[in-house]
Amino acid sequence: MAAIKETQDDGDRQKKTVIAVTDGPAIPRKMDVGLFTAWRVAFVGALAVIAYLAIVHRDPYWEILKFLPDGILVTFQVTIEAIVLALIIGLFTGLGRISKNRIINGIASLYVEVIRGIPLLVQLFYIYFALGRFVNLPAMASAVIAMAVCYGAYMGEIFRAGIESIHRGQMEAARSLGMSYQQAMIHVILPQAFKTILPPVGNEFVALLKDSSLVSILAVSDLLRRGREFASESFTYFETYTMVALVYLVITLVLSKLVSIMEERISVD
Amino acid sequence: MSTNGNAIVEIRNVFKFFGSLKALDNVSLDIYDGEKVVIIGPSGSGKSTLLRSINRLEKIDGGSIIVDGYPVHDESTDINKVREEVGMVFQSFNVFPHKTVLDNLNLAQMVVRKRSKEEATKISMGLLHKVGITDKAHQYPGKLSGGQQQRVAIARALAMKPKIMLFDEPTSALDPEMIGEVLDVMVKLAQEGMTMIVVSHEMGFARQVADRVIFMDYGAIIEVGPPEHFFTNPSHDRTKLFLSQIL
Repeated sequence: MAAIKETQDDGDRQKKTVIAVTDGPAIPRKMDVGLFTAWRVAFVGALAVIAYLAIVHRDPYWEILKFLPDGILVTFQVTIEAIVLALIIGLFTGLGRISKNRIINGIASLYVEVIRGIPLLVQLFYIYFALGRFVNLPAMASAVIAMAVCYGAYMGEIFRAGIESIHRGQMEAARSLGMSYQQAMIHVILPQAFKTILPPVGNEFVALLKDSSLVSILAVSDLLRRGREFASESFTYFETYTMVALVYLVITLVLSKLVSIMEERISVD
Repeated sequence: MSTNGNAIVEIRNVFKFFGSLKALDNVSLDIYDGEKVVIIGPSGSGKSTLLRSINRLEKIDGGSIIVDGYPVHDESTDINKVREEVGMVFQSFNVFPHKTVLDNLNLAQMVVRKRSKEEATKISMGLLHKVGITDKAHQYPGKLSGGQQQRVAIARALAMKPKIMLFDEPTSALDPEMIGEVLDVMVKLAQEGMTMIVVSHEMGFARQVADRVIFMDYGAIIEVGPPEHFFTNPSHDRTKLFLSQIL
């Protein structure tokens, strides 16, 4: 997902944080001319293929395209709900990971290690099917919780790196003005850290959206599930999954573009 | 001496270790209300550590520090109460880059002192006038020079109406042409009677305002005296050697 690299400048106490994205879509920057055209080719190409198929081969492509939007909405619903929950979990995990309290730190670290060591699909099965023996959560809620718990661990690492990237002097200055640790975090450290973590959080959002296709296993009618429903009735597997893949591609390309624009704006400030 | 005779900071037999390194070695020092003390010494001599232990940015390993009646060395003391009374200025300014100059000054007033925004702004504007950067009130610190940022940091500390001001090498990170503007503010503050503890090698400043100069080396206080003493006849060889390097 997101790997975080910290480099220490020679002789300078200021830490520079480089957050490198190793998974998720290749995000084009202005200097990456090749990638930029690759993005454009993929985006325009996907739209053109969708339009061509829907217009020229109306049956079944137009029918498929009409069937999918409900699923797109569910996909976004799962993604947004999960990311909001993951941000909250991530904030507390990140704070826990930098806590000097050994118990809190231990719990946060354990959570991150355990969750990162279990595949998301297994976590989904676990919350919906295994824990179903004790609590009966609806499929949608299980899906959101499982994704949020999983991504919360990664968010926690992003928050931790973001907070640690803020110069130690900021905390000292705030504390020396009489602010408590919490006040200093809320008013001084976190507002600065948010800027650093916004791009990696955006990347997590894109990655989460793609991973949300896993919830179709739990009978949540997301984009993939809608496609499966259509295909299994009409036996048009090739046509349907082609459409589903293209729609995912367009959504992901648009979102990753938005993330890169956001990243650029932030680096300008 | 422009003091009122009462020790406002009492430092007694203080020890501090960084691993096996003895950063403070049995340091005792009284600082009186209204007094200006300048601490000098080579890097690694413990002068910054001593200053930072006064408001518990460093926790001491032995001895006692009492600031305005509060035992700072005691874990049960609410350190935030002490810090409200002790302003601190850092070498690296540490202004808050995500807030305007005015908001830098207002923040702790509103959060800690619970002043209203209007009340805080009034105090802040007065202080910005005092340090000579009223026109930058609504700018972000990133647009300011180092000297201006440090003056913002001084004003920010003063906005809390502290009884004591600590300065940790306030001019060391500045370009030479900006040192004067910061020292001018500090001299003004000294003339107003603020209790000041300053870690600095600006001997001109020490000569102008200091009641006492303290020379530290290897975590211990080696020599204490009025500034003239250090210029005319420092008694220890280590002091002489050090002064010959900085003067």
